[in-house]
Amino acid sequence: MLFNTIDFAIFMPIVFLLYWFVFKKNIKIQNLFLLITSYFFYACWDWRFLGLIFVSSLVDYLVGLSLAKTEEKAKRKTLLITSLVVNLGILGFFKYYNFFIESFQEVFSLFGRSLESSSLNILLPVGISFYTFQTLSYTIDVYRKRIEPTNNILSFFTFVSFFPQLVAGPIERASNLLPQFERKRQFDYAKSVDGLRLILLGLFKKMVIADNCALAVNEIFTNYSEYNGSTLFFGAFFFAFQIYGDFSGYSDIAIGTARLLGFDLMQNFNSPYLSRNLGEFWRRWHISLSTWFRDYVYIPLGGNQVSKAKWIRNIFIVFLLSGFWHGANWTFIIWGFIHALFFLPLIFQNKNGHFKDVADPGKLLPSLKSVVQIGSTFLIVLVAWVFFRAENVTHAFLYLQEMFSVSLFSFPMVSKGLVLFLMVYMIFEWLQRDKKHLLEIDFIRSKPLRIAVYYCLAFIIFYFAGDTQPFIYFQF
Amino acid sequence: MKKLLTHIGLFLIPILMVWILAEVFYRTVPNNYSYKHKQISNNNNDIDVLVLGDSHTFYGINPEWLSLKTYNLANVSQTIYFDKLLFEKHINHLPKLKYLILSVEYTTLSQADNTQEDIWRKYFYHTQMDLDVPLISWYNPKKYSLALVRKFDKTWKSYKDFRKEGSLIGCDSRGWGNTYLSTMDSLEIQRVSNTTAKKHEDGSMDFSLNSKRIQEIIDLCKERHIEVLLVNMPVFTGYLDRLSPEKLQKIETACEAFESKNPNVSHINFLRDLRFELTDFEDPDHLNAQGAKKCSLLINEYLEQKQTD
Repeated sequence: MLFNTIDFAIFMPIVFLLYWFVFKKNIKIQNLFLLITSYFFYACWDWRFLGLIFVSSLVDYLVGLSLAKTEEKAKRKTLLITSLVVNLGILGFFKYYNFFIESFQEVFSLFGRSLESSSLNILLPVGISFYTFQTLSYTIDVYRKRIEPTNNILSFFTFVSFFPQLVAGPIERASNLLPQFERKRQFDYAKSVDGLRLILLGLFKKMVIADNCALAVNEIFTNYSEYNGSTLFFGAFFFAFQIYGDFSGYSDIAIGTARLLGFDLMQNFNSPYLSRNLGEFWRRWHISLSTWFRDYVYIPLGGNQVSKAKWIRNIFIVFLLSGFWHGANWTFIIWGFIHALFFLPLIFQNKNGHFKDVADPGKLLPSLKSVVQIGSTFLIVLVAWVFFRAENVTHAFLYLQEMFSVSLFSFPMVSKGLVLFLMVYMIFEWLQRDKKHLLEIDFIRSKPLRIAVYYCLAFIIFYFAGDTQPFIYFQF
Repeated sequence: MKKLLTHIGLFLIPILMVWILAEVFYRTVPNNYSYKHKQISNNNNDIDVLVLGDSHTFYGINPEWLSLKTYNLANVSQTIYFDKLLFEKHINHLPKLKYLILSVEYTTLSQADNTQEDIWRKYFYHTQMDLDVPLISWYNPKKYSLALVRKFDKTWKSYKDFRKEGSLIGCDSRGWGNTYLSTMDSLEIQRVSNTTAKKHEDGSMDFSLNSKRIQEIIDLCKERHIEVLLVNMPVFTGYLDRLSPEKLQKIETACEAFESKNPNVSHINFLRDLRFELTDFEDPDHLNAQGAKKCSLLINEYLEQKQTD
């Protein structure tokens, strides 16, 4: 069931009404209801993989309880390793088995040997990377004694499978989300209205921005050899907005849906294309994943509290892992590598922590310096996106070779309307950069005017929606 | 809570009204689906020839030029899946049917179900042609509302077309698509050939499913002593040159195999027929009215020949 379908438009109001009117009185029944609806939501894709969520949830629930019962270091470590092996084992098998087999086969063939092993026809369970990381964070936090393990199996299972963020995040931390399942939720009008705004904004980003860009992107990336450099540049430009609209749109709908049910999920995107360096970009793009890697990989490796060489190593490990998390393809790993590479200047100049506030606060127009910084950061991100979108590494290099040829200065064969539309969208993002989201428009005092904005957005969604495309991040 | 529900309700009223209006529009204004259904259901007693297929036969075979009483039940983007459903639905009510004309185009045999245009057209077949379409599940809301099927901009365009033309029906009383009346210049048709050929390439050489369906149609015809005429409709050579030669060869071989295996099947291949010129085409892969007349007369000649044999 996709968020941008009629099915969800029917499913969600039913869940909302039952949740607040029928099951409101008893928190256990309310959680059980959420668990059932979450499993139903997932089963709409493929019920066969429900067993995997169940196993992941059960293992981490039991490991959590066992960790609470023992102080013995070796035993605690064994329990943690059990959880890691089960969760990463399942993830590894379903997501990376074929990648490793094929990569080994290629390496062996380089040395003139053949490896007798065949790849399997494995279906990738939707959202496996997301819920695996979510449930792992719980076990690691319990192991580190950052949180108390829960003995409420219902809350825990619902935490792992909570339908708004089950298949594409945000990857929630147990410390934030789990307690919300254990306390009574109160209906909050303001929170619900903001949730509805986020849903509207998410639908706009997905159906108008992402789906319209997707048409151009598919055409340009598939037939890249027929286009000049400037068109390929815009192909990558459109992809940058496709993936942004797609993923941040999904996150907005997820957060908005959770809000309607009385939950607060973490912010996952914060105007990433207004970032002035890559450090800022990663504080604004897929925040739940980048903070996951920060907390569970980067900091345990020593973070920046080590020698410069080790710091650089840590950066590369995190970015390469982040690339690999996205998919079993060298293109994602190179994508991560590019980000790590362009992160290095920030380390050497000690600028990693710069730009924690919005650009040019309080000003209507950006300064020239900000324009240059934002533009150059976007250019790096855009080049890296080519690898992310390409079918394989050769495809990406050929695309870039053609893109950075003399024809880069010829006239692009792209829809001017789409380019203009994206520019206008970015102007709105700039104007709203200090807000939590684009539709935080309480500063508009006139209620009819605010409603007019919502209708305007709804009309744009209905009228200008592109052909429905699957959410890109579902494949991860 | 009450306040929120009231506000949502009020906000949704205009949207619901637009939805209802769109639904009324689709249900009341006749289009090709509802019109063809009405025609074939009411005038089926004396039909000798039935034409099925996609836009190529819809625009390319004009029953007016056939001496036998013919009805063109083809439609734009109509796949073999729907050809079979339509044929099975109507066969029992076509007592005089002698010939079934079925087009086999570049996409016909490799077309996967529920892709491209099927995604929305299937609901129109279900609702307006009274077909039981197994692709649509009972719990699919679009089964019950045509306004949900098409995007709003498409609905609005249909409405504007209706206001301008006074009708959404794009065919005559015998089912022929009578709106293709123009032609392209040689440069334009070459350019469009490229994009059309690209659009039609689905990369699949798997003909098994649709071949099975054609065979089932042929078997049904065999039982009822109906002759099947498989036709590869004429296309512009510039378009043909841009298609995969291997796939084209495989399509032609498949048609010949149907002909040799089944005594009630004949095959006419117009793909490389030089009698069709630039002025016969509306676009690279569709005949215009002039081309349709030429093609229909050739088919008529063939059928008359068959009748005298």
